[in-house]
Amino acid sequence: MKTVVKTTLLTLLLLLASSLAVFAAIRLSGGDVTAARLPASATAADRDAFRAEMGLDQPILRQYVTYLGDLVRGDLGNSLTNNAEISSLAVDKIKNSLVLGFMAIVLVFGIGVPLGMLASLKRNSWLDTGITSMSVAGMAVPNFWLALILIYIFSTWLGWLPSAGQGGFKYLILPAFVLAAEGIALTVRMTRSAMLDNLSQDFVRTLRAAGISERRIYLKHVLRNSLLPIISLAGLRVGQIVGYALVVETIFGWPGVGQILVNGVLRRDYPVVQFFSLLLVIVVTLGNLAASVGYTLANPRLRK
Amino acid sequence: MTTDTTADPAASGAEPLLDIHDLTIGLRGRDGLGYDIVRDVNMRLYPNEILAVVGESGCGKSLTALSVLALHASPPLHIVGGSITYGGRDLTKLSHSQMRSIRGAEIAMVFQDPMSALDPMFTCGTLLTSAVKAHQKVSNDVAEKLALEALADAGIEDPKRRFHEYPFQLSGGVSQRVMIALALVNDPKIIIADEPTTALDVTVQAQILDRLKALRNERGMSLMLITHNLGVVASVADRMAVMYAGEVVESGTVESVLAHPQHPYTNGLLGAVPRLNSDVSELVPIMGRVPQPNELPAGCAFADRCSRVTDACLTTRPALEHLGRTEVRCFNPVS
Repeated sequence: MKTVVKTTLLTLLLLLASSLAVFAAIRLSGGDVTAARLPASATAADRDAFRAEMGLDQPILRQYVTYLGDLVRGDLGNSLTNNAEISSLAVDKIKNSLVLGFMAIVLVFGIGVPLGMLASLKRNSWLDTGITSMSVAGMAVPNFWLALILIYIFSTWLGWLPSAGQGGFKYLILPAFVLAAEGIALTVRMTRSAMLDNLSQDFVRTLRAAGISERRIYLKHVLRNSLLPIISLAGLRVGQIVGYALVVETIFGWPGVGQILVNGVLRRDYPVVQFFSLLLVIVVTLGNLAASVGYTLANPRLRK
Repeated sequence: MTTDTTADPAASGAEPLLDIHDLTIGLRGRDGLGYDIVRDVNMRLYPNEILAVVGESGCGKSLTALSVLALHASPPLHIVGGSITYGGRDLTKLSHSQMRSIRGAEIAMVFQDPMSALDPMFTCGTLLTSAVKAHQKVSNDVAEKLALEALADAGIEDPKRRFHEYPFQLSGGVSQRVMIALALVNDPKIIIADEPTTALDVTVQAQILDRLKALRNERGMSLMLITHNLGVVASVADRMAVMYAGEVVESGTVESVLAHPQHPYTNGLLGAVPRLNSDVSELVPIMGRVPQPNELPAGCAFADRCSRVTDACLTTRPALEHLGRTEVRCFNPVS
């Protein structure tokens, strides 16, 4: 119970701090929304009038207090660029991003863990070398480059998959894979080394001496022990995916949070940037929370 | 020799239960080159007896024990010669699945350091019942019943409670009892215990050894006890084999070997044991050090530390030969 209260308070504090950071960062980046909203021919007076209308002429501290007050009351404000209510704008974008992010998480663990297990099982074989080399490449290659290569191969050349946009499952494959690539690579390496580490533990010899089959030792005992470090870093994987989503959604024209956030930053659309950034912070926090709950549940030493 | 009153199965011509014959285990690289760690080891374990295998760290006693169940790290270690006969079969020739059906069911093992030898992620009950199910097609209820019986037989006070506990919740002594239960649960004919008490408190050591000795009597099992503690040998074992630098240098009944050591190494080992009931104020060390497996001399492995060394010792390797009721690998035995 104490832990729950402590975690909740810390999370609230984290959200407050990040709201301030985002609020300050976007204003410090220079320029403002008038460049995007008003025609190039607009005079300085026009621009001032527009700023006053949007409340941007207020002292910065008052703007922050107003923003916080609105946020607490559930008023997310309106976009400065098109006056649309952010709450109405948000639902679809969030849904799209969740679909993409969830798919990426599934790929990270669904591909990473089995490949890592395979590499550890066939260690020092050509298969192991192949998987390990691929995972090094996966970590080294920047995802925007990987995205372009994959678009070239699967869309331009083979014509199997669409290069951008949103539709059925086909549209999800490339962006989800690119988003997951580095996570897969890291998970492969971590799974492989955790499996090998646990395979050389004393308890494996005890299980063998009891006549328990190699398959069972591997799939039940060694795997269960190896999942702990993987789960404990799952929070980091979530953070990574959230961060990369900004780039990947933009490249693949995926109408998600990343895309709207990038556009918001470019246009200095403060309310949009503030809300969606805070949303990402919340997602990352929840991801870490889920990882630590999962770790506790999976580890009998903490569960008891 | 008045001390040697117990019946010696080796002398009465009984069939050994486990017969390790001229076993040689080598360390081999991918190129097939390497050297032998354990050489021409002969040991026989008879029904219902406790055989102690004694020697210093690195003498090959644990490796010999592990190789019985093919648990040695292979590669790089390989059985390059000899045989291990159990129930009319040579265990060194068995397939993986044949060996699996022997492990735990016919021959079980207890390891040292019980705290790391039990899987931390599962309860003792799960470990025990999966061991049962690895060999017997029984229901969960029956498996649980067998597990609880094994825990009780291993000397655990409250089997029901321990059944649901995880290894990290147990003390070292209780962990070792759980490991003994794991060895007992499929009712094997032989238990090989590799330094089962090394990691435990002295009082707990005595309890565990008493328990193992009692189990031998209750269940009619045989026990192969790997140890470097001569006190343990004297108090629990029937026969003993002394190993030095990968070879058995002397074996026989505990009474005869301890009372009349024939090999200069055994003799030296006993001279280095402190005794409470003697006036000798100084312990006699064995000078020099054990040769590494890659620097073994052409002759006797003990030659350069031996006070009885002759020219023959330096050029020819002595064979293990009968001398009265013991077997000795020496040209110039002590008596």
